[in-house]
Amino acid sequence: MIPDGEIKKLPQRAWFERLNLLNIIVIVFLFLTIFSGKNLMDNNRPADVVAGFKYFIKKFFPPDFSDFSLILESLGETFQIAIVSTFIAVIFSLVISIGASRNVSPSWLVQTTRMFLNITRTLPSLIWAFIFVIFFGPTPIAGVFALTFYSLGYLGKFFSESFESMDIKVARGLKLIGANPVQAFLYGLWPNVKAQVWSQSLWMLEYNIRSASIIGLVGAGGIGMELNKAMEMASGFQRVTAILICILVIVIFLDLLGQGIRRWITQKINPKSISD
Amino acid sequence: MTILRTNKLGLIRNQKWLFQNLNIEIPGGSLVAILGPSGVGKSSLLSCLSGSEAPSEGKIEFEINKGETKNTQSIRPELGIIFQNLRLTEHVTVLENVLYGKIAYYGLKEAILGFPKSDQEEAYQILSDLGIAKLAYKWTSQTSGGEQQRTAIARTLFQSPKIILADEPVSNLDTYYAGRVMGLFRNLATLKKKIIFCALHDPQLISRFADYALSLNPEHPEGWNLRKVEPKT
Repeated sequence: MIPDGEIKKLPQRAWFERLNLLNIIVIVFLFLTIFSGKNLMDNNRPADVVAGFKYFIKKFFPPDFSDFSLILESLGETFQIAIVSTFIAVIFSLVISIGASRNVSPSWLVQTTRMFLNITRTLPSLIWAFIFVIFFGPTPIAGVFALTFYSLGYLGKFFSESFESMDIKVARGLKLIGANPVQAFLYGLWPNVKAQVWSQSLWMLEYNIRSASIIGLVGAGGIGMELNKAMEMASGFQRVTAILICILVIVIFLDLLGQGIRRWITQKINPKSISD
Repeated sequence: MTILRTNKLGLIRNQKWLFQNLNIEIPGGSLVAILGPSGVGKSSLLSCLSGSEAPSEGKIEFEINKGETKNTQSIRPELGIIFQNLRLTEHVTVLENVLYGKIAYYGLKEAILGFPKSDQEEAYQILSDLGIAKLAYKWTSQTSGGEQQRTAIARTLFQSPKIILADEPVSNLDTYYAGRVMGLFRNLATLKKKIIFCALHDPQLISRFADYALSLNPEHPEGWNLRKVEPKT
């Protein structure tokens, strides 16, 4: 039975409610790409790509592995920078991210910490490295600080998003039967985010290994410094190739290793997420 | 003896009174069934009593020791709550969830070294009473709805509070376990003089186990009714 005055036909929506925003965005991007592409091509200097390629092959090959032990040593340093900075960043991010989670913290704290996280994330790691090289001089310590700050921005965001996706009612329920705030977090929230935090931290480590290999370009230690030196030498191009190959091999290897470990940990901590 | 007392208790939800001027005094040893159709305010009354929601008017008092009235905040460890949506921590074992019942008595030591062995044994006993001992080391997220409900009940039994507030604690259980859990509650009330509030639907369970039946009437917020359930002989 339909009460009087109620509409029997399917109600029509206004034209702006019927618009599919996603499609419009795709179309806008398509136009922007065509327009920008044309602009970029017009402003380009005419270049002889084929000659450039020939020059590259001639100068950069074959790779020069004569200083292999030195390359290995600075790769080791790269690795150490990544590990130390990721570890410090994870610890600090955990604390900061609690402040940045809307479901846990008051809004003034959320706003402040998010602002801080946004700022650290906006600057690329290379700029951070540049800043800390001014403070500490061209040392690996500058690299550690640079990557720590850069990772803080990302991990803080990731962790707080993980916390926010959790059902806060569980922790609140524990408080109702006498848990203090730390216990409520430790037993009601932390177990459910643990797997995500692990996985995100490992992702950051992988990322930092890649980053650590370029921040040396501005003097912040690691393999990048060797790369920089080799590029500045007239005869160093073949060494550059050797270093790049080494970076490539180690990054691919660690990526695969990280993926494997991540999958293993997720499975161990949270078996459900695999079957889902 | 424990006493739960409400004084002119009232709650507004969506600009509508769910109940008003609710004055009840429940002595230890009583099992109170809260009844009424869905949406009548059973869960809201329980969350008022548990302190997770502030009443719109009136107050709730507890008397744990004679002559000493306390508010909800100060008797938290003596307040066992079985939530309708259970609120278990999903990614820990069933046993750990049960152990969380005594969380108010644990501290830094347990956080670092883990829960005491004797407590683990005790929690395991409760699980086996409820027929889910084999799930002790399983992830809670991997267990079924009925098993999770029994885990939540086990948590409250392990907590061993003076007052239990249970929101439809047997809704996901079969007749056998529903009767068994209500029987356990009945014994806790009779033998240990606990106060137990249960939101219940099943009239059979109410007449078998409850001492009092409290019904709410949102059409007439002040028309709530607390009656004694006549025991069937």
